[in-house]
Amino acid sequence: MSHYARHEHHDFLGATQKALADPPLQAALLRLTGTLMAANRRGYAVLADSDKLRDHAKRIKEHTLAHLDHYLEQLEASVQRVGGQVHWASDAEEARRLVVRIAQKAGCKHAVKSKSMTSEEVHLNPALEQAGIEVVETDFGEFIIQLAGERPSHLVAPAVHHTRESVARVLSQHLGETLPDDPRTLAMTGRRVLRDKFRRADLGITGANFAVAETGTIVLITNEGNGRLTTTCPRVHVALVGLEKVIPRFADLPVFLKLLARAATGQTLSIYTTLITGPRRKGEIDGPEEFHLVLLDNGRSKVLATQFRESLQCIRCGACLNACPVYRRIGGHAYGGVYSGPIGSILTPLYDSLADNPHLPHASSLCGACQAACPVRINIPHMLIGLRELQHRKKRLSGDDLAYWLWKEVLCRPWLYRLALRAARWLLWPLAKDGWLRKLPGPGGGWTQARDFPAPAARSFRQRWRELQ
Amino acid sequence: MTAARESFLSRVREAVRQGNRAGKAPVLPERGNVGYQGGGNDPVRCFEAECTAAGARVHLMADREAGASCIMALVQAVQARSVVLGQNLILEALDLRRRLASEGIAIVTADGSCLGERHYAADIAITGVDYLIAETGSLVVLARPDNPRSFTLLPPVHVAVAETSQLLPDLFDLFGPDVQPELPSCISFITGPSKTGDIELRLVTGVHGPGEVHVVLVT
Repeated sequence: MSHYARHEHHDFLGATQKALADPPLQAALLRLTGTLMAANRRGYAVLADSDKLRDHAKRIKEHTLAHLDHYLEQLEASVQRVGGQVHWASDAEEARRLVVRIAQKAGCKHAVKSKSMTSEEVHLNPALEQAGIEVVETDFGEFIIQLAGERPSHLVAPAVHHTRESVARVLSQHLGETLPDDPRTLAMTGRRVLRDKFRRADLGITGANFAVAETGTIVLITNEGNGRLTTTCPRVHVALVGLEKVIPRFADLPVFLKLLARAATGQTLSIYTTLITGPRRKGEIDGPEEFHLVLLDNGRSKVLATQFRESLQCIRCGACLNACPVYRRIGGHAYGGVYSGPIGSILTPLYDSLADNPHLPHASSLCGACQAACPVRINIPHMLIGLRELQHRKKRLSGDDLAYWLWKEVLCRPWLYRLALRAARWLLWPLAKDGWLRKLPGPGGGWTQARDFPAPAARSFRQRWRELQ
Repeated sequence: MTAARESFLSRVREAVRQGNRAGKAPVLPERGNVGYQGGGNDPVRCFEAECTAAGARVHLMADREAGASCIMALVQAVQARSVVLGQNLILEALDLRRRLASEGIAIVTADGSCLGERHYAADIAITGVDYLIAETGSLVVLARPDNPRSFTLLPPVHVAVAETSQLLPDLFDLFGPDVQPELPSCISFITGPSKTGDIELRLVTGVHGPGEVHVVLVT
């Protein structure tokens, strides 16, 4: 078992079938991704120079990754200069151990968390609970799925798979009272319950969207304000941050701020962007007394050395999920990993293993919509093809190989191609009804499982062309 | 600790070396003017439009006296019994302490050593801001002993008081190349009221932070 935490269902095809047969999920996915995708396009359209700015952001990331060791050391020095502590976690186990130790050393018993994918990735919550520390997710959607015992299914809308009825059910069960399924009442109930948790909390756990090497600043972005509360009320703050989140200069930050919210939700800025530089200063009455930055590798340096380095440029906006015709149908849980959608189809095989996630590089039509939506223009299709190539190299000769070899041989010989067409027409014609094949025999059955195949025309294009001459 | 650090960094160093193809080390680019949006011909209008679009209410006031009356009307509208009050020169000039006290409203400030019940229980916050950003409609608030980060966060209603001299056209204007070496412990950008869309994309305000944000802008 690798250090990369996976979910129980790894049966990608089975999970896909289940998602496709779930009408409420289909409706929720279409609503969410349609809304956010339109917002993404509008966001770029109204931002003057958006193309140049995206190129600029990409170049900053390229540069940073090419000098990552230098910037990590600079980040460490800057955090220490402002009174914070820096810890280095090579893998998930070390990250869990470090965070638990920080909590125990400071005598913390009640942790509040602001949505963090890195903490999902290292399975932090069970480790803290085992150490006798209460952990509460405070993003409203994350709180719901924590109560329901699930995992997030979208980067920015973790509870997209829930309906108002199911949220009411989950919250009612937790509180032992019957709540109406009106979103406002439910959200305000969440405020009341979670505000109590914040008042009691002694440990705040966050990820970070960016970490600025020059100043030691970490940046948290939320719409609800739970990221601010998490870094305001408790006396200890731990930020668990992937090593790829570092950017060089304070002046580089607005480049990404301008792009992130526009790409994610079409907002010019998310409601709250919070820049944290060290613990509270002398004389301040709130904010943490201790600030810990835990830098996480967990497979990232392995990727840094390869042709897949570009995947480390991801700023987790979720735009590629919304744009992807596959994600829009199957949702986040079907991918099995912590990260879903097109970027997850790259990250999960890389951080976990390609052999254990053989379907993910193929969970894409390679249409390129993901790259078009990406604020840093990550060439996701290219990397998916790269992963397929790796799979291919490792495999013995397969049925696919034979089929493609046959295909090539036929295409290289026009007479054979014509013969094959004629044969196909004779063979398939009896199966057709109203110009469509509802069910293909043999391996072709996979195609007609979810869609029809057009019946071959009575006369080929070449025949008709000859007659037109 | 240091061993963990060393092995971590040497692994990264090796990966950087392996992944950097010869002669292709990308330089850190200078932005020039790319992506600068500015606030248009009328930055005040631009700020007002963006801030309103984000769900906040902007009250443009001709002078400080009108600003003070506007603030008091907002306080009365929520029937506030206690107010957290920030400190800066603009708030000072509005004479809010006297006005609030004469209405019998309790004033909570940053006195004391930590957050207390009175901070959590306040009905409304009145604070200054350090900057406004026209491009995004944002308030920028720097944490300081007399302006704690919680003031703009805990109460259900936030009234921010600003003057047009605090307005910056573009987000980039705040991040100039001459950054002071030591930043405050917390800089908050606030762009509208707290929002969630976690239930069927229905927008609900006030789920964690203030559900109502008013900007009283003295022009």
